[in-house]
Amino acid sequence: MPRFLVRTLLCAFVASGLWAQQTEVVLSATSSAKLVLAMTSPKATGLDDTAVATEFTAVLKRDLDESGVIAMLQEGLPADGAPTKAWKEAGAQWLLTARLSKSANGDLHMEAAALDTAADKGVFTRTYNANRIVPLRYLAHYLADDLVGRLTGEKGVASSRIVFVRQVAPGVKEIFQVDRDGAGLVQLTRHGSLTLSPTVAADGRLAYVTYKGGAPEIWGQRRKDGPHEKLFPTSGAGSMLSSPVWSPEGKRLAFVQGDRRGNSDIMVLDLATNRARRLTDGNGINTEPSWNPNGNQLGFTSDREGGPQVFLMQDDGSNLRRLTGEGLYNASPTWSPNGAMVAYVSRFEGKFDLFVYKLGEGKAYQITTGVSTSESPAWSPDERHLVFTSNRFGSSQIFTTDLSGRKIVRLSDLAGCQSPRWIRGR
Amino acid sequence: MRYGIYIVPAAIVLTLGSLACKPPKTAEQIKAETQAAFNEGVQAFNDGKARTTNPYLNDKANPHKMQGWSDGWDKAQADKTAADKAAADKAAADVKAAADAKAAADRAAAEEAARKAAEAERAAAFKAATDKALVNIHFDYDKSEIKENDRATLQGIADFLKAYPAAKVEIAGNCDERGTNEYNLALGNKRAAAALVYLKTLGVDEARFTTISYGKEKPLCTEAKEACWSQNRRDEFKLK
Repeated sequence: MPRFLVRTLLCAFVASGLWAQQTEVVLSATSSAKLVLAMTSPKATGLDDTAVATEFTAVLKRDLDESGVIAMLQEGLPADGAPTKAWKEAGAQWLLTARLSKSANGDLHMEAAALDTAADKGVFTRTYNANRIVPLRYLAHYLADDLVGRLTGEKGVASSRIVFVRQVAPGVKEIFQVDRDGAGLVQLTRHGSLTLSPTVAADGRLAYVTYKGGAPEIWGQRRKDGPHEKLFPTSGAGSMLSSPVWSPEGKRLAFVQGDRRGNSDIMVLDLATNRARRLTDGNGINTEPSWNPNGNQLGFTSDREGGPQVFLMQDDGSNLRRLTGEGLYNASPTWSPNGAMVAYVSRFEGKFDLFVYKLGEGKAYQITTGVSTSESPAWSPDERHLVFTSNRFGSSQIFTTDLSGRKIVRLSDLAGCQSPRWIRGR
Repeated sequence: MRYGIYIVPAAIVLTLGSLACKPPKTAEQIKAETQAAFNEGVQAFNDGKARTTNPYLNDKANPHKMQGWSDGWDKAQADKTAADKAAADKAAADVKAAADAKAAADRAAAEEAARKAAEAERAAAFKAATDKALVNIHFDYDKSEIKENDRATLQGIADFLKAYPAAKVEIAGNCDERGTNEYNLALGNKRAAAALVYLKTLGVDEARFTTISYGKEKPLCTEAKEACWSQNRRDEFKLK
């Protein structure tokens, strides 16, 4: 309980100023622990300067800011032709140059290079080719991801996407996808009914629950880019079905099946044999399964000890143990991509906040604090951020946060959104 | 020439005699003539001639023709009379059949109308009973226990299902917006099951129910306050 108090007090200051409006914290270029990067004006041929400024430079800056590991130097920049030393004195650790060109048929070409200003030697060089259907802003995403990859060893997530559920009419929800920066909204399903709980396999295959036939059914893609088809039940219908989640290797689907006595159980469907196996014991509510990255353990929510709490078990149902201790309502566990953390939501004073449980430490950390509710956490592929829904501006919208909870950004102003999932875009 | 006065008259006599004494008619000829006269009689009747116009009345040599003609006329008259009578009978029968059919149709229409009226009345009664019985029950936050004041409602649903043995009902469990989407789907399932179990204890066959959970996906009311939440934490009952 002291944890709550400290957090609450700490964040009271922040909340008073920031939580009332859209909270987009602008990074200072000199903030510690971030690499400071400066960019000379990109040289472009076949593209007009306005397009380069808005669709490339501004996008790259935002991508790097949101990466949390690179800050883009904005002030006191030397002239474009200035020597490396001048850039170093201006505070830049890396100096980025980019040469863009658009050919007559619309294909894009980019050569990018980065220089370590202290050592005065190249640290990064890469050429990008994209055909004409790829927007210019995607080149900025690819470059940002590779720069982050060069720095941290793991590619960034600027080109990643968020898949989510959105209400399109009362009682009608469909699955949508949007770029990590809120651009490029695409509708993925058109069932004209309640369609919920999307899950995306590593190879991009989608699965979800739809009520299009009256009772819920699990639909999805059996093969990459294949048609959406019914995956479960193979025959008959009628029981409650929810929460499909692809296993990390993409061959199994964990899901939840309810019975007529009010129990709901974690099941695992083997796509190769179409055989489903029950992992929990028909003892109250068991739901919200989440695989660990090895695919040999599952986290889930169960009310077997009273209110909802987070439990872990092996993928055969053995070695069941409770993870969450404090709080009367802990749910929505999501295992982090490297397996060391579990994000979940906890109810405190009538609203919900995001928490991260560090398995190594055996301790939970509160991520969000505020007067509003934050729900449905999902990890970014690089594990540096969480995407979640919040009603802080009224209707349920999608936000991202870093793990400090101090850098909360609204993904888009789309209302009526739920169940976001974060996937790599390339 | 002296014998001529004998030969010429003799020749004349022989000639005339041979002419006058024709051989008697055979039975076939008489039969054929009778038939021919019969046909003429039929034709005469059909042509509208009177019986007295028999052309063989004075043919004393051929009484069979006179008889045949008269028989033909009589037969034609009898046939016509019979045909006329048959036609008249048929017309009368047709009129009667039409009248009978109309009466039957009227009767059927009346029966149908009565049946429809009765059906509409039954449907109205059924709808009234449905609307009266199938009302929502409500739950406490994160709970799926049947509340004391909803027991009468469930008893009403059980009575309704006993009164209408063909009726089937879907129980839809719903939740308020607080809590996760997935947990609320499971909780909605639990709430639907709670009503199902209770109705079973009231003696209704559980095969007459289907259950479904909408979790917090289909709220009746979308404001973030208890007055709204308490409406949303519900089981809905719907004819299936």
